[in-house]
Amino acid sequence: MHFSLLLNSALILFSRLASASTSSYKEQLLLRPLPQNALLASFNFKSNSSSTSFEQQNFRYFPRSLGQILQHAHTKELHLRFSLGRWDAESWGARPWDGAREGGTGVELWAWVESENDEEANARWLTLTNALSGLFCASLNFIDATKTIRPVMTFEPEGIHPKGAMDKLQLLHGTLPHEVVCTENLTPFLKLLPCKGKAGISSLLDGHKLFDAAWQTMAIDIRPVCAADGECTLEIEHTVDMVLDIARSKRPRDNPIPRPLPIEQMECDTSKSYHGDDTCFPLHKSSEPAWSVSEVFGHPLKGSCTLSDTETTTESICVNVPSDRTIDVKGAFNISQSSHNNDNLRCFTLPTDGSDFDLSFPEQTLQAPTTLQKPNLYAARSITGYGQERGGIQAVVSNPSPTSAVSIVYLESLPWYMKPYLHTLRAVISPTNANNGHQNKSKSRSTEDNLNPVKETYYRPALDRHRGTHLELRLEIPASSTLILTYDFEKAVLRYTEYPPDANRGFDVAPAVIRLLSSRETEGGAPGMYLRTTSLLLPLPTPDFSMPYNVIILTSTVMALGM
Amino acid sequence: MAAISTAILALRRDRRILKLPPYLSALLIIIGVTWLLLLPLNAYSRNTYVSENALLPGQVHTYFGGSEHNIFRAYRQEVSAISEKTPEERKESLVDILSSAGLKVGTQKFKYGVSGNEVEGENVYALLQGPRADATEAIVLIAAWKNMNGEINYSGVALVLTLARYFKRWSLWSKDIIFLISSDSTAGPQAWVDAYHDAHDPRYVASLPIKSGALQGAVAIDYPAGTWGHRFDKLHVVYDGINGQLPNLDLFNTAVSIASGQMGIGCTLQRMWEHNDQYLPRLQTMLRGMLNQGLGHATGPHSSFIPYHVDAITLQTVGDGWHDEMSLGRTVEGLFRSLNNLLEHLHQSFFFYLLMQANRFVSIGTYLPSAMLVAGSFTVMCIALWVQSGRPEDLKGKVGSTDEKSPAGEKEANTPKMVLIKGPGSSKAIVPITMLGVVERHLFLPFALLTSFHFLGLVPFYLFNHTPIPSLTTAFIAFTIVTLPLPYILANILPRKLTKQELMLLQCFTLLLLGLFLSALATLNFSLSLLIGLLSAPFSFIRPLGTTDTSSPQQKQSSSTTPIPPKFSKPMQPPPTSNPPTSSTIPSKTNPRTLILHILQALLLTALSPPVVIIAASSLWNVPGVSLSQVLAMATTGWWIHGLWTGVVVWLVWWPAWFTASFLVGAGAWF
Repeated sequence: MHFSLLLNSALILFSRLASASTSSYKEQLLLRPLPQNALLASFNFKSNSSSTSFEQQNFRYFPRSLGQILQHAHTKELHLRFSLGRWDAESWGARPWDGAREGGTGVELWAWVESENDEEANARWLTLTNALSGLFCASLNFIDATKTIRPVMTFEPEGIHPKGAMDKLQLLHGTLPHEVVCTENLTPFLKLLPCKGKAGISSLLDGHKLFDAAWQTMAIDIRPVCAADGECTLEIEHTVDMVLDIARSKRPRDNPIPRPLPIEQMECDTSKSYHGDDTCFPLHKSSEPAWSVSEVFGHPLKGSCTLSDTETTTESICVNVPSDRTIDVKGAFNISQSSHNNDNLRCFTLPTDGSDFDLSFPEQTLQAPTTLQKPNLYAARSITGYGQERGGIQAVVSNPSPTSAVSIVYLESLPWYMKPYLHTLRAVISPTNANNGHQNKSKSRSTEDNLNPVKETYYRPALDRHRGTHLELRLEIPASSTLILTYDFEKAVLRYTEYPPDANRGFDVAPAVIRLLSSRETEGGAPGMYLRTTSLLLPLPTPDFSMPYNVIILTSTVMALGM
Repeated sequence: MAAISTAILALRRDRRILKLPPYLSALLIIIGVTWLLLLPLNAYSRNTYVSENALLPGQVHTYFGGSEHNIFRAYRQEVSAISEKTPEERKESLVDILSSAGLKVGTQKFKYGVSGNEVEGENVYALLQGPRADATEAIVLIAAWKNMNGEINYSGVALVLTLARYFKRWSLWSKDIIFLISSDSTAGPQAWVDAYHDAHDPRYVASLPIKSGALQGAVAIDYPAGTWGHRFDKLHVVYDGINGQLPNLDLFNTAVSIASGQMGIGCTLQRMWEHNDQYLPRLQTMLRGMLNQGLGHATGPHSSFIPYHVDAITLQTVGDGWHDEMSLGRTVEGLFRSLNNLLEHLHQSFFFYLLMQANRFVSIGTYLPSAMLVAGSFTVMCIALWVQSGRPEDLKGKVGSTDEKSPAGEKEANTPKMVLIKGPGSSKAIVPITMLGVVERHLFLPFALLTSFHFLGLVPFYLFNHTPIPSLTTAFIAFTIVTLPLPYILANILPRKLTKQELMLLQCFTLLLLGLFLSALATLNFSLSLLIGLLSAPFSFIRPLGTTDTSSPQQKQSSSTTPIPPKFSKPMQPPPTSNPPTSSTIPSKTNPRTLILHILQALLLTALSPPVVIIAASSLWNVPGVSLSQVLAMATTGWWIHGLWTGVVVWLVWWPAWFTASFLVGAGAWF
């Protein structure tokens, strides 16, 4: 008994030493002020583990709880997303990570599961979703067959799988658009991190701030990376992106109510003729607001996570601001600052002794405003029509690029009670008449009208109560054009017991996933460029649920009287 | 079982039963009206209550005040400054103010063609993306640039701008909030909400550049106080939607409970400025509400939202009092906090109700019978006429007639011809032959006339929706003058006079249609159904007088004979075919009583003809500024912009029924 314990610990010690070379951990925070007083905070945590130590259940940076689930469910690559809110592409520009690390509203999960046939894949997928449901305190177990699809074109494996392994892998994808992401999902997320939110940049992740964000997404990506010689490492990447409203986040927690400011503190436009003691036209300030990390996140950074690689000095906090923006660095010594000229990126190394670290930005008027990268694509989707019987979906995807056409994959995963009529599917290209006048309007219209933007269609119709609709389209949008995709659908009448308790709210329809196919062929390992629309609320014909209640009450009364 | 069916069959031939329908029909109408008059009593109406628990009206502290007042005053100055500029500059200023508050701003142009006229404008709206929202739900705050009376909504627009800036600071919004400044109170909101649901015609209305999720509610503010403000006394809550559709009562109740309970602002409705909660004001409020509902016109910017199942109300400031814009702002804030709490679309409370005071209502279960009874009165008369038209000619004259001029032949006819009927076994009966007779109904002409009269209704319908608005009044008066004598002329230029039975069938069918339409309509627009029902109630009772002597059917002893099921009956001779009324059945034209009755009928029908009612109602309406031309213009704009169905009901249901009734009177007159 004692001997075996000793042996075990010795083995563990040995394997740790052995795996130290292959396993590593790295964390990074990027702060980027956005227009309209918003701030993008992008947290990224990466750790590795060699697949041999993973298979031997030697976990160092790789979370054991998650690792065992993956082994049990024979899952080779996994992507899990928790998202809330929406990214405002018009004001905030291109998405962080090109959209590859974000999900649609709610929970989204896709994974490559090793299996011999479909039934085995479904069984393992079920195991996986149920286990993850327990781990992340989310209703992932509600991803059943009706919410699962097998996308064909939209997702490519990010990892480099061993040769021949891809043949046995099946991709399954499920979404829960109604899932409200909250602190109970953040806590298990933080627990998976090596420093568990106690030190390093993860100490800034606080539920109050994270879920007050205008947009936030938490992502976990696990992928194997295999070299040509068959040596594999398993990479896990945790990503948290959020857009905070600086003014709202700066409010102290004990007084979060945005009361009207005292009149003395108001900043008025005194140039107005009617300006006076009782009249104040609010001054529109063009200067950058003042903020600091401790104000925005509620507390300063508590040192660095000492588990991260120390041999290479990692710059774990980077700020993407114009070079003339003043930054006051508060905190202990041991700070290195380096400027990357190309991207206006300034990075800092955190103190290793656990002392507090803070960055503050005074109010400043900048010469040149921050230039944002323009997004490659804009997309919006909405329900059209009204009434209880049928409706329509309209997706508007526009390509702002004046020169190059883009090729996209549009994926819809619709619930079975929303029955699309595929024959009503129309994809119309029209030139975006924003600034390039009308001279090329007629020309482009004549050439594009005979051009069908739909290049490829993959459609798997729904089966009532068994599976949802899966629609994938490959579309091509010419330069500076807008694609309007419309189709009609019919609303099914559900059975009495199939309605949720809040039946009159409507039913959530998962966001559409749009993948940008880049012109050059991407190799495995590069995450693609993605875009997700907002989810939709589909009102279905709902019975008056109080009616059966009344009938029951009445019948019971009559029966009681009879007794 | 057999006994019951034979008893019923016997009842079918009971003369007392056949005499009953006119009285029954009149009784139904009287009960219907009395029912309506009883509704304002405490025993029949109820106090309102908030049914949806999630709303929690007035439970939050509202913070709109302090320095926001300074900003409000500045915005009101801005609004009054831009009101003197061109619409294009106005739009740009509004866009500037809204986008400087950090909102996403969109504009929408629209240009409707309404019978030769053009209604155009541009809506400006801003989207506040709720920090806790996922773009699936949205609520709308509206201020029309011009209110229903054409006044510029200075303070209302300024208040929406201030609230937009104020709401942006809160992080608790779980739904998006859309601030809509429409260029007018009817066409602008309609264009916007049509485009929001993608139900617009892109030739007239531009699509919206920015959209959010499903609309959950809309509140419009109408506060036309100018630069120096105006303290108001009460809030006038306007809730009528297009085609008489109403918002969920919970929204109304929430607004009333926040305004009066939390802010201490009294609420009125239906222009009842003084209301002491007694029977008469309650009745008056209810009737005004019914009139508005029946007309189904747009009563404010909120009206266009209701057909899309978006509950909406307008808060209008009225009177001189001590409440200022901040009280209104805090009311709106409280209302939006309540709507923000909603987990589900408003569905708990009533969609069909009549309000008689700000916190008193009757629900559909209580009031619907009155319209249904009125509609049912037509069906009763229709059945009676159908049965009567299938009966053979009754024997004329009374048994104890004092009419000494009755020819000898009739006396002979008074002793009816009998027929011997053998039943099963040895049972036999002697029955008057008329009882067994079946009269063939000649349906073609009544049907043809009925159909053509209903199609004739398309003429005024087309005419009044295509005539240019300035010449509408002339066209209407001309139409009235032409069509009032038309049915009488038509009845007398027909190549063949209609028989009594055909007239009866014509009346029967028109009453059948009326009963059908009105009872179906009662569930959709109760008030319109009741109004039309009451106005066409005399159509059941008019008779083509030249032929109305069936009102004195002879009492027969036939009820005492043993009824025999028809399958056993063996008539000895073929039933007499219906023969056109002989001249002997028609009293002489010179009968002064008939003539007076006839003139009275014609006068009554003329007074109740749709054009006369419309002219009379619009000139007698006590609301200043309502004239015939405005009513007609409203009807045509309603049809083209809002999809108002009242015109369809008036011209294709009511007018043909009136036309048929007048035709009947006319057909009787010149025999």
